[in-house]
Amino acid sequence: MAENSYNTNTINITIPHSSDANALLTGNEAIALGAYKAGVYVAVGYPGTPSSEILPFLAKFKSAIVNWSINEKTALEIAVGASIGFKRSMFTTKHVGLNVASDPLMTLALTGVRGGLVVVTADDPGMHSSQNEQDNRMYAKFAKIPMLEPSDSEECLNFTEIAFDISEKFDTPVILRTTTRISHSRSIVSLPDIPGTAESIKSAERHINKPYIKDIEKFVMAPVYAKKRHKSAIKRLEYLTDFSNNSGINKIEYNSRDLGIITSGISYQYAKEIAPSASFLKLSFSYPVPNILVKEFVKNIKNVVIIEELEPFIQNEISSFGINLKGKEYFPRDGELNLDLVKRGLTEAGFLTTPQNIHENIHESISEALPPRLPALCSGCPHTSVFYALKKLKVPVMGDIGCYTLGALPPLNAMDSCISMGLAFGAAQGLSLSKSSVKKTVGIMGDSTFFHSGITSLIDAKYNNACFTAIILDNATTAMTGGQDHPGTGKNLSLNQSVSSKIDIKKIIEGIGIDEIYIIDPYDYNETYKILKKAVQSENLNVVITNRPCVLYPKKLNCGIKFKVIEGCLGCDLCMQIGCPSILPSSCFNLSCDKRLPTIDDSCIGCSICKDICIFNFISEI
Amino acid sequence: MNPDGLIQNILICGIGGQGVVLSGKIISLAAFESGLDIKTSEVHGMSQRGGSVSTHIRFGEKIYSPVISENNADIILSFDIYETARYIRSFANEKTIIISSNRGKIPSWTSKIKNDKIENGNKNGNSFLDANGVAGFLKANFNFLNLIDDKKIAEHLGNIKVSNIVLIGLLSGFTEIKKEIWLKVVEKNVPEKTAELNIKAFLTGRNYYENKIF
Repeated sequence: MAENSYNTNTINITIPHSSDANALLTGNEAIALGAYKAGVYVAVGYPGTPSSEILPFLAKFKSAIVNWSINEKTALEIAVGASIGFKRSMFTTKHVGLNVASDPLMTLALTGVRGGLVVVTADDPGMHSSQNEQDNRMYAKFAKIPMLEPSDSEECLNFTEIAFDISEKFDTPVILRTTTRISHSRSIVSLPDIPGTAESIKSAERHINKPYIKDIEKFVMAPVYAKKRHKSAIKRLEYLTDFSNNSGINKIEYNSRDLGIITSGISYQYAKEIAPSASFLKLSFSYPVPNILVKEFVKNIKNVVIIEELEPFIQNEISSFGINLKGKEYFPRDGELNLDLVKRGLTEAGFLTTPQNIHENIHESISEALPPRLPALCSGCPHTSVFYALKKLKVPVMGDIGCYTLGALPPLNAMDSCISMGLAFGAAQGLSLSKSSVKKTVGIMGDSTFFHSGITSLIDAKYNNACFTAIILDNATTAMTGGQDHPGTGKNLSLNQSVSSKIDIKKIIEGIGIDEIYIIDPYDYNETYKILKKAVQSENLNVVITNRPCVLYPKKLNCGIKFKVIEGCLGCDLCMQIGCPSILPSSCFNLSCDKRLPTIDDSCIGCSICKDICIFNFISEI
Repeated sequence: MNPDGLIQNILICGIGGQGVVLSGKIISLAAFESGLDIKTSEVHGMSQRGGSVSTHIRFGEKIYSPVISENNADIILSFDIYETARYIRSFANEKTIIISSNRGKIPSWTSKIKNDKIENGNKNGNSFLDANGVAGFLKANFNFLNLIDDKKIAEHLGNIKVSNIVLIGLLSGFTEIKKEIWLKVVEKNVPEKTAELNIKAFLTGRNYYENKIF
């Protein structure tokens, strides 16, 4: 692998910048750049909003081995192995993905590292695209490992680089925690040492091989060694607290002596804008919390309040020092913070006098009259017909996480659960055991989810003689997060070409010993319905796999034909029940029953599902 | 510009797949190339296509929050008239300049569920507003409204895809960023073979501003 092929041409293409010194980057791009500068050698992860763009951006520099892994646990394990081999490694995940990787993480906290190891967790307060809004700062405390929280892209770059140094200096994995508004916001980053300077050379030097050395006391966490390592992890917290107090990463910005704000991450930006005259203790190295700095701040400032998104993490830490400050009394524990909530909280706390919002809400009246726009499956999405058939079959459907979660929403209403990655087949087994449904249970998930964590639960189903129908919506990509590769595509980031043969889902299932397998073309609705009906009537554990690719990734698809509603349509609305965004109500009515007639607009890609749905044959090819 | 004249807040909205992200990139790079401090924030929602999407852009001497506060957008740029109506509730005030396509895609199937079926109309059984109805509401409530038939203009120019750039051309007039910078950024950020057409589209929109043809 070319170790230092980072050149000016590449950077001009990938990083927009007006001068040699600055670029306008997202937090995710800046993290990738920081990892590049730190000389990361192995970078791995599983796609998840809002973390997905870090690895593809890093892969462009061609300086490291950058790969999607099958799931987060495997990814972290790969990073651990690289670290044992003296190489710097990074693992990226969304907040809930760290739950999957938490098994290696908790014990890695005892063993420590050799090459620096950084865990990037991108949290999603407000749940823009997640099933919960857990606060992963808790993991730093839970595992007894240090954490950095950048508040803009510049800090994303710098903190990522520092994180590797901290990891090696203190023999610990380091958490770099962002949120959606950090990962997906752009701000200006200075690029002093890039490219082709001393920094790049440092990067290349990191790649020099060190021979493997065995050290069982450090890496074999059997009780005899783990007991010792736990003591060192506790001791390490003391050193890290010193570092938190004295390294200069955590800063006090003295201003007004009346109002002081302790904050971290994006909350710092909101607070700084709303209360520019306040003094600030900005926690960039936010675990362990710097006890001496907090004491100094509280001593020098009359009123101190804590502003943090989600859990009272900083507040509880500070209260453990015997200092009781207010925070969550004024700021919500759920959802995202924003300028208005910070303003309201500070007003309520008596630190701000805010005039009432002068903007009259003249606009409320339109809310009622405006058609809502729920997220939808794309025109021609192959998942559509499967969900429509499941709706018709009226079976209980244990669902999963991906684009197809939208199958739970109207008008399809054909998925009954969405809890965690890979839950569907386990939950389908459990639901069938409960005997609460007379109909056969269905579990449904996508191809990437099947690789992520569906295989094990399908093996369990076979092992325990479970009876349900497992549906795998194989669209040959990880669609929801933007079309990333997975074992079923045979490609990955580093080379952007085939890296292995495609791993065949059907062969995996045959290998498990399940004999009843159906491969269906979801663009043929009638056949899809017929086979699903057969599958849910069979008293065996069986599997149905769809075979149409995603319409967007890896490339936009178009069948080259379009459909239209022809004259004679009475407006029965049947075609509208599949939720295709190309089928809209027209301005024409069937006057006899006051029904609006549908129309198909030019976004139709010609999948033909609606043609099969219209049993009256009023939809035809143009 | 805000009363303090320092920060400009632009909210872009539309439907997934309409070019909100690319438009955000062009506007933010124009501010960036002008040497201003800038922050943007985009939300990647649940659906790949067809959902409601927005990008926040803030530039000025010094920017902290990447997100615009309630009813504090100086300009709302919208590629779908229904989304214009959706976002004004949270972001517009009486002085907000609204630059919007006069067309929109009605999201029919998200209307009303009755007996597990979708029917049109809101929960009181009233019909939802159509594009004309929304336009009427906007005209009655906003003094600085620019409803543009961007799709028709773009078709005249030769490609419906440049409709966003027409609206960006109009928007550019309401900023203090120099015209040359806008032209440079547009040229650099569209596919090379469509550069000429995009510049033409930008200048058409800009001309609307300069001649006050709204």
